[in-house]
Amino acid sequence: MTDADKYWNPILETLPQEKLKELQLRKFKRIFEWAYHNSPFYNGLYRDAGIEPGDIKVFDDIRKVPKTDKAMMRAIQGKEPYPYGSILSVPLEQVTEYRQTSGTTGQPVYHPETWQDWEWSAESWAYILYAHGFRDTDRLFIPFGYSIYIAFWAAHYAAEKVGCEVVPGGVLDTEARLLKMRELKATGMAATPTYVLGMADAARNRLGIDPAKELDVRRITVAGEPGGSIPATRKRMEDAWGAKVYDHAGATEIGHWGYECQAQCGLHINEALHLIEIEDIETGEAINEPGGRGSMVVTTFDRLAHPCIRFDSKDVIEWSPVEKCECGRTFRLLRGGVTGRADDITKVKGVLLAPAAIEEVVRAMPQLGDEYEVVVTKRGDIDSIALKVELLPESGAEIDALKEDLARDLRAKTNLRYDLEFCQYGTLPRYETKARRFKDLREKE
Amino acid sequence: MADKSGSIEEMAQRISSIKQQANELKAMSGGIQAVDRNVDRILASVKMLEINISDLVGLVKDSK
Repeated sequence: MTDADKYWNPILETLPQEKLKELQLRKFKRIFEWAYHNSPFYNGLYRDAGIEPGDIKVFDDIRKVPKTDKAMMRAIQGKEPYPYGSILSVPLEQVTEYRQTSGTTGQPVYHPETWQDWEWSAESWAYILYAHGFRDTDRLFIPFGYSIYIAFWAAHYAAEKVGCEVVPGGVLDTEARLLKMRELKATGMAATPTYVLGMADAARNRLGIDPAKELDVRRITVAGEPGGSIPATRKRMEDAWGAKVYDHAGATEIGHWGYECQAQCGLHINEALHLIEIEDIETGEAINEPGGRGSMVVTTFDRLAHPCIRFDSKDVIEWSPVEKCECGRTFRLLRGGVTGRADDITKVKGVLLAPAAIEEVVRAMPQLGDEYEVVVTKRGDIDSIALKVELLPESGAEIDALKEDLARDLRAKTNLRYDLEFCQYGTLPRYETKARRFKDLREKE
Repeated sequence: MADKSGSIEEMAQRISSIKQQANELKAMSGGIQAVDRNVDRILASVKMLEINISDLVGLVKDSK
């Protein structure tokens, strides 16, 4: 296999780290200058901070640039140029697509795309799909109701760019999607981890189809939730479909910045298109060594209508100690993908809890179904945390023994005791897009 | 990587030439939308070529 077969861009993806940093500095200067001169929002932000394009001379100068965050984006929008407000950096006539964030953490953020920016989105997804092994021989089924959100639109266009035959499963229901996948012998799929598991469940229990044996799916790209990088969840998906599952990471306002390769030892940061900084969650200090874990600050190069410069994403990531990936890419690796959100990590009974840790325990127990729900409440001054799970009907497990095992593993993983409830299979909510399984019902102080 | 540096510069020159020709075509269209809008799409693809290739001019050569 030649380099041109292995990588979407063999030059950029194998560029030595010191050259990548040089490229990033060039590109940072370029997007900073663009935003300074074309976005009234950024211009005001930087003037207030007393910083201008000529001040960025060396890589470390980047940290002098003020950060942005989602609250700022929400405050800007809804004003002229309507509806994007003063962040818009191109004439409104050049905007050809409207997108918005999912609103998982509050009011959705509006996102404009010019034709060039949209081409860029497809380009960044092409890196992902190619690294996951998709080629022009694949028939990629996208079982997702394409809509106002960016989700899977860029995947669709990137798959075309890579040369795949794309089947948009948009308005079909789950059963119809599965039957169409079987009929067309789809070789690949892109969906959220929750829906990948939900489809397999529907195939087995509603259609009597075993996806691993009766469908032709060989590889699945997952997005939108951390499950693709949680080993127990990935194993469930791979076992259910008889396919390799590859993770990637991205978001509407920052683009698609990370992807697994076929070595599956973490997420590679696409450092040709993005600058990813990692900061200590509590102190904000830069983390400059492998092994460090913190909050992600993102700059997206080359996307011009709605520039994303030092955006505090609140995603929690960990720089992998693996310095050289066997795939040959030089892009830095993250261990465990996006492991949570800084604002999701919460204290329960005084203990820091990342909800993804609960999923890892639940999904590692073969007697339990894929769904679960966590509810945190407060009784008087004391926090209480409850976990609802479903027992698989065919598991034949003895509930008391299982409860004991579950309590033990949860305690070991999260250092907390839970009120455990075993629900009848099929009674917990099912999700097609981003699941909301963690509910904190405590009053905010 | 060193053996690729020559071809990067050559590719970058071709990309620059496509861009120049596309812009010239737009300039001579007299505002025909069927020309201008399709040129805009060509230029968006050219930008991706610049990101993938032209931005590396100088960088990869330096690694010789």
